[in-house]
Amino acid sequence: MTVTAMLPDGQGGGSARATLRRNFWRGVARVLRRKPSRVAGVVILALFALMAVVGPMLYPAHLPRDDDALYAPPSLAHPFGTDFEGTDVLALVVTGSRYVILTGLATAVITVAVGTALGLLAGFHRGRWDTVLMRVTDLQLTIPGLPLLLVLSTVWKFEGPLEMGLVLGLLGWGGIARAVRSQTLSLRERGFIEAARGLGLSTPHIVVRELLPGMAPYIAMNMLIAVTGAIYAQVGLFFLGVLPFDSNNWGVMLNLAVFGGGALTSAAALPYLLAPLLAILLLTLGIVLVVDAMDEIFNPRLREE
Amino acid sequence: MKRLTAIAALAAIATATACGTTGTTSSGGIYTTIDGAKQIDASAPINPFNPQGSTFVGYDTMSLGWPKNDLMNPDLFYPGLAASWSATPDQGEVVIHLRPNARWSDGKPVTSKDVRTSIGLAYTQGGSAYTVNAGAAGAAADVVIVDDKTVKITQGANRSNAFLRNVLSTVVVPDHVYGALLPAGFWRTLQDARGTGPAADKAKTEITGLSQKVITFSPREDVSAGPFVLERVNPGAALLKRNPYFYDSAKIVPDKVKVLNYTGNEQIWNYLVSGKLDSAPFTAVPAAVMARIKATAGNEVRKGYSPVAASMAFNQSRKPYDDPHVRRALAYLIDRAQVTRVASPEAGTPSIATTGIHGSAAKAWLGPGLAGLNPYKVDPAKADQELRAAGMVKRKGQWGFADGKPWKVRLTVPAEFSDWVAAAKSITSQLNDHGIDASVTTSADYTLYLEELASGKLDVGFWLMALGPSPYNIYQRLYGSANGWSLLAGRLTHSPPGKDGNWMGGPEKIGGVNPGELTNRLNLATPEEQKKIVGTLAALTNQQLPVIQLYDYVNTQFVNTSRYTGWPPHDSEALRLPAGVWMQLGMIEKK
Repeated sequence: MTVTAMLPDGQGGGSARATLRRNFWRGVARVLRRKPSRVAGVVILALFALMAVVGPMLYPAHLPRDDDALYAPPSLAHPFGTDFEGTDVLALVVTGSRYVILTGLATAVITVAVGTALGLLAGFHRGRWDTVLMRVTDLQLTIPGLPLLLVLSTVWKFEGPLEMGLVLGLLGWGGIARAVRSQTLSLRERGFIEAARGLGLSTPHIVVRELLPGMAPYIAMNMLIAVTGAIYAQVGLFFLGVLPFDSNNWGVMLNLAVFGGGALTSAAALPYLLAPLLAILLLTLGIVLVVDAMDEIFNPRLREE
Repeated sequence: MKRLTAIAALAAIATATACGTTGTTSSGGIYTTIDGAKQIDASAPINPFNPQGSTFVGYDTMSLGWPKNDLMNPDLFYPGLAASWSATPDQGEVVIHLRPNARWSDGKPVTSKDVRTSIGLAYTQGGSAYTVNAGAAGAAADVVIVDDKTVKITQGANRSNAFLRNVLSTVVVPDHVYGALLPAGFWRTLQDARGTGPAADKAKTEITGLSQKVITFSPREDVSAGPFVLERVNPGAALLKRNPYFYDSAKIVPDKVKVLNYTGNEQIWNYLVSGKLDSAPFTAVPAAVMARIKATAGNEVRKGYSPVAASMAFNQSRKPYDDPHVRRALAYLIDRAQVTRVASPEAGTPSIATTGIHGSAAKAWLGPGLAGLNPYKVDPAKADQELRAAGMVKRKGQWGFADGKPWKVRLTVPAEFSDWVAAAKSITSQLNDHGIDASVTTSADYTLYLEELASGKLDVGFWLMALGPSPYNIYQRLYGSANGWSLLAGRLTHSPPGKDGNWMGGPEKIGGVNPGELTNRLNLATPEEQKKIVGTLAALTNQQLPVIQLYDYVNTQFVNTSRYTGWPPHDSEALRLPAGVWMQLGMIEKK
């Protein structure tokens, strides 16, 4: 017998779930309204998402250049000035956003997927599984990411954002795996898991339907934080000049502004330096503000306040 | 060390100098500069054979002579430790006369034995006139001490007209410090190494086996024959003090020289902007930074001839770059003036035409013949003609191969050369404007880039060329080992593309002319013959375009007139030499 059998027609499990969803989104709206900064965070992320999806379509494949306006100062025509060959810096930032954000997302997905899967597996099964997987995780945590990427870049050209994301993701799952494992170890001893076991539910069902939802908020927040980490890592690598050249890549822009334009010595290339920096800053800020909101949405104690 | 300082101070007091400088007064002041050739490594030995060594050319490291920056004649030198020299017409024999009053900073005289030991040590490192490769062109075969101040150096059978300048470029170190590095019987082993067969091979291995021992040798203190001697070095700077025994001490004005360390160009720019440097060698500078440097009180720029040019080079074993029509088409589409404005506005001039030679030298070598060469002015219509002649097809505004395959121009540059990156981007933008799918790829660093180039991995890359003033050196960049021609045991051989470092992959003969052979002949030719050969090679290069010459470098130096004056003028023959040599030439005075 189930709860739904006792409900009148038209008010089955589906509508109960719908009610739950509605309540959830109302809660989300309430949490966002509580602090305007959180709304700003959502708006910033939405803008960047829009920029990544639509931005490159707004410009021609090869951005126009003004041969007589190299490192032109900011103006109405060029709000962030122009670069070393007279290309509008704002156009470069907009068209370059897709690569950065795609890489960030790919990294986050891989980091979270691998970390969560291994953490759940190790924490739920314990024993030899746990020992082996955690030794692998320890090994992964000891790998120095940046030096390895520097070496890898000499043999691998990382020509697409997904390639870049794959490598960054495979270098970043260790922390999440350990955290998820410890949470799993704690949750698996709770009564509801015992009950599920007693009911003879399958392990995949227990892990996916009982354990995972409890950890979903934590995983979601880690995913967003992983995006910022990925952005820093890739921009840093491009800034160091070890990755393929693409003039609208934010890291490449920073590199060219500093080393080619002398942005740290003279003001001419300063807008060229500040534009990608501002984009990185805003994107990171947006993520941090949304994570702050998520924290309250998912944390019952904070919600009670 | 303290004792040496005291002796030096006493000797300095005893030495009357033109400006009345003594070791204890500071009327000459501290001259501040950087070493353009290397950053400072405080842990490196005080040894000129060590690439990172704490020694500074022109200040405490001395050569027999200092090369003049001449357009055509590579044999013009200012005297260094050699007061004079003579050479037979074929340069088979060079006689060096050392300065009679040259002494080391410990008071011992500079003698022929020092020169001989220095040559012996140079053999362990290999290269130029001192190599154990049997039959290498221009290698010394015998070093004879005529007397205390005279050395006779004889070339081997395989002569080269580069011998004199290679000998004069010899760095001289004191025998009483470095002599022990050469084992007993070294000269006999060297003689054996010049032959062929197993015994010679064993001897060669013995000689080159000393290389590391020489490089890592760390003397307790600097013993210098130059105007200065190292006092101390730390990670931030090296400080050199006057060498009271320097043969021309009266000409040297500063009491001390401070060589500042730097981690990158930006640090040098900041030094210059703050007016810290009395002089700085060539550094790539963006236009806006140059304006700031010039705005600093006392800062001035000195410009002169720099025998180097930047070019875009093709791997002719890759399609479609094997076809000269394609290479010409690309030349017609590249606006070199715009590339130069974007990449090197302060230190480059757009190349007049692709000749293989720097523009200034080309005028001297080719005379009116230069005007007859194709300048490849931007002309999209001609580019279209050339591409069609090569069988390329334009579909939907994009050029591709006749069989429908897309044509993607991948232009590779080392990521650390910001001017090359900017130039490459400018070129690809221009090519994209004309329907050629072009993009820039980067190699992580220059060493890796050269490896990728040599292994034939790249389609199109950037290549330094026109390395004058020697015409052989100029054309060796285009028709030397990178294009398949190498000289072994006096015999010129041509390797097929992809073998022995031949990445350019050009044809061995073009219209019956073998450019590699002609280049090799420059090594032995008389000046008249050289002119003829250079004319032929320039015309061939202009017509075939193994490279597209983009911009010719301008040597841009910085000086500051706040503390010192008497700097070399624009286009001075001494401009590319370190400031220590300017001092030796009596150029720098206290303000």
